[in-house]
Amino acid sequence: MDFYLGLAQIIGVHTILGLSAYVVMLTGQLSLAQAGFFAIGAYVAGMLTVLAGFHIVPAMLVGAVLAGLMAFIVGFPALRVKGLMLVIATLAFGEFVRLFFFNFDYQISKGGITVGPLGGEGFRQIRFFPENGWTSLDVMLFVWAVVIIVMAALWWMDRSRAGAVLRAVGEDELAAQSAGINLTVVKVAAMTAGGFIAGLGGGIYAHYTTHIEHLNFGVILATFAIAYPILGGLSNVFGTLVAVIFIQGVLVEGLRFMGDWRNLLFGALIVLAMNVRPRGLFDERATALLKGLFTGRGHART
Amino acid sequence: MQRKLSALTIVGPAIAAAGLLAAPLQPLAMERTVHIAGFGAKSGVVRSFGVNTEAVMLAAAKHINESGGVKLGDGTTGKIKVSFYDDRCNAEEGISVLRRIATTEALVAVGPTCSNVAEPLFGILQKKVGDDKDTGLQFPVFTDTAIKGGLAKISEWAFRNVPNEMEMYRQMFKWIKAQNPDLKTVFGGVEEDFAHSRFTWYKVMKTRSGDAGYEVLGEAKWLLADTNFTTQVRKMRKAKADVVAISAHPFTTCGVLKEMQRQRVKPKLLVGLTSSSSLETLQGCAKQAEGIIIPTSFAPVTPAAKMAAEAAAKLGGSADLHSAAAWEIVNILKGVIEGQKVMAKADTLKADRRKIRDGLANLKTTGGLLGKIQRTDEGEAVKPYVYVHAKAGEWAVLHNPIK
Repeated sequence: MDFYLGLAQIIGVHTILGLSAYVVMLTGQLSLAQAGFFAIGAYVAGMLTVLAGFHIVPAMLVGAVLAGLMAFIVGFPALRVKGLMLVIATLAFGEFVRLFFFNFDYQISKGGITVGPLGGEGFRQIRFFPENGWTSLDVMLFVWAVVIIVMAALWWMDRSRAGAVLRAVGEDELAAQSAGINLTVVKVAAMTAGGFIAGLGGGIYAHYTTHIEHLNFGVILATFAIAYPILGGLSNVFGTLVAVIFIQGVLVEGLRFMGDWRNLLFGALIVLAMNVRPRGLFDERATALLKGLFTGRGHART
Repeated sequence: MQRKLSALTIVGPAIAAAGLLAAPLQPLAMERTVHIAGFGAKSGVVRSFGVNTEAVMLAAAKHINESGGVKLGDGTTGKIKVSFYDDRCNAEEGISVLRRIATTEALVAVGPTCSNVAEPLFGILQKKVGDDKDTGLQFPVFTDTAIKGGLAKISEWAFRNVPNEMEMYRQMFKWIKAQNPDLKTVFGGVEEDFAHSRFTWYKVMKTRSGDAGYEVLGEAKWLLADTNFTTQVRKMRKAKADVVAISAHPFTTCGVLKEMQRQRVKPKLLVGLTSSSSLETLQGCAKQAEGIIIPTSFAPVTPAAKMAAEAAAKLGGSADLHSAAAWEIVNILKGVIEGQKVMAKADTLKADRRKIRDGLANLKTTGGLLGKIQRTDEGEAVKPYVYVHAKAGEWAVLHNPIK
C-alpha cells in the first residue's frame, strides 16, 4: 500500500509541475524555466522548515511567492522574445537557478548537527513529514489537496474572462492585441502564476524526497514539465493529469520490469501517443465525449 | 500364487519408486525462500554498476544455495532468491523502488548505486529505531556502491559496505610520499557536479595529500556531462605539478586523460578515484590511464576474491570495487539471518526485517573478500584495501598493505 501512496505523491507533484507549464502554454509560450521555479520553491520551503522550524504550509507558500516573484521579474525581459528564442532564454534562466544552488552554501548548527544547503553536495534531512508523524497516507492526501486546489483554480480561471484572454493571446497575438489586450501584462501574469504553482510543487517535492540537490532541477525536469501539458493536451487541466499518470504511472513505474528496454519503449510510446492523439491524450474530443456521457446528450460534437 | 507374485512385482517397484521420488521431495518441503532485493542503476550512464551488482548478487546467492543454503530460525533450510530493480540513478525512482520492495516479501534491500539516490532514500527511513513519533519507513537497506562519505548515519536502518576513502587515501598518499620523496606538489581534477567526486576531492584527496606533506597547487573543475577538457588540462599543464589526482568517474576521467595526452601533460604520478578502478576505465582509455594509481577494496588477490570474480563473470558481470561488496553483503546477510534466527515466513516479515537490522547494527567485524571488515557504530565499514595501477590494459596490484 505504501508504494501506491508514494506513487500517488509523485503523480501529484508532477501534476503541479505540469500545470505550472500549462498556464504559460495557454498564452502560446513554451517555458523551460519551470524547473528553476520548482527549485526555488524546493530550496526556500526546505530551508524554512529545517532551519527556521516553519510548518510546511507557510514554508511552501513563501517558496511559491518567491518563485512567482522571480517569474514576474524574469517574465518581462524573457517574454520580449518568442518561440525558440524564448525556449533558449527560459532554459538559460533554469540553468542559472540550478547553478546558483550548485554554489549556494548556507549551513547552521542545530542540535550539534550542521544542516542546510551545501552547494553541490545538496541539502539533506528535510524530514518535516516523518518527524511530525505524517504517514504516507497523510502526505498523499496533503499533496492531492494542493493538486485539487491548483486544478480547481485553473479550471475556474479557464472559464472566466482571464482564461479567455490567455487563450486569445495563445491563439493569435495580433488579433488579441487588436482587441485591446495588453500582451505583456497577460504573458507576465501567466508566467508569474506558472512560477507560483511550480514553487508550490517544489516545496512538496523537497519534503517527500528529504534531500535535494542541483541535479534534480536540470533540463530533464524542465522537459518533463512541458511534456505533460503537450502530451495531455491544452483543452483543459485534466489533460496534464492524464499525461502525468501515463508517464509516471505507466511508463516509469509500470514498465520498470523491462530494464533497459523501458527507456526505448518510453520514447516510442510517447511518439505513438502523439501520433494517435496529436492534440493531446485528453483533447477537445475526449472532453466533449465525457461531457456527453455525463450530461446524457448523446454523441458530442467534435 | 503366480497372481500374487505378479502383483508384488508391480507394487514393489512402484513403492520403491515412490520412495525414491519422495526422498528428494522431503527436504524440499522443509525449504523456504529467503527473499533479498537488490536495486541500482541498470539503465543510463552508470548502467554497468547495476548490471554488475545484480550479477554478483545472483552469483553469491547461487553459491550459498549450492553450499546448503541458509539455516532459518526453526531449523528449516532457506534458499536465497534475489530480485533486482532498476532505479535509473534517480532519487524519486529510488524512493519509489524502495517503497515497492517494502511491499514485497523481501527481508532486506541491497543498493543503491548512486549517492544522490542513497541520500534521499536514507532520509525516508526512520531515523532512530523505535521512535514511534518518526513515521519513516522501517526497512533495512545495505548499500554496496553509493560511496559518498558519512551517509549511513542518516538512519539507523541504513548500513553500508563501501570502502572508507578517508582512510584509503590517507594511507596511500603517505605511502606514495615514502616511495617517491622527490614528489612535492599535487594538482587536482574534479568532476564538480557529482556528489561523490566532489566530496572525495575537497574532503578526502585534497586534505589527505596535504597531510602527507604535498603542496596542493589548485584544481581544475569539470562537469559529469562535459566532453571537452581543453581549458581544464591547460590549467593542469600550467601548474606543472608532480602528481595529478583526478576525482572523477571513468567517463570523464578518460576524457581528461586523453586531453592530457593531446596537450602532452605528463605528471610524474597519476592518482585516480576509487570508482575508476573498474573495467570501464580500461575499456575507455587503457593506454592513457597507464600507471594511474587507485586504492581499491577489491582485487582478485585472495582465493575467495578470485572465486567471486569468476562466479560473477559466469553470470555476465564483473566483480569490481563496488559490485564485489554485494558478494560480501549477501554472505554477511546469511550470517545475520542465521544468527538472528530469522524465520522468513509471511507472518514474521516485519519481525524478520527488524531482526536483520538489529543483527547488522550489532556487527563489529565481518568476513570480506580481502580479509576482515570492521564495522562502525554508524553502520559504515572499514574495509581492507590494496593499491592497484593500470598496467598493460589491466588492473594490477601495486602494493598490498594487508601483507
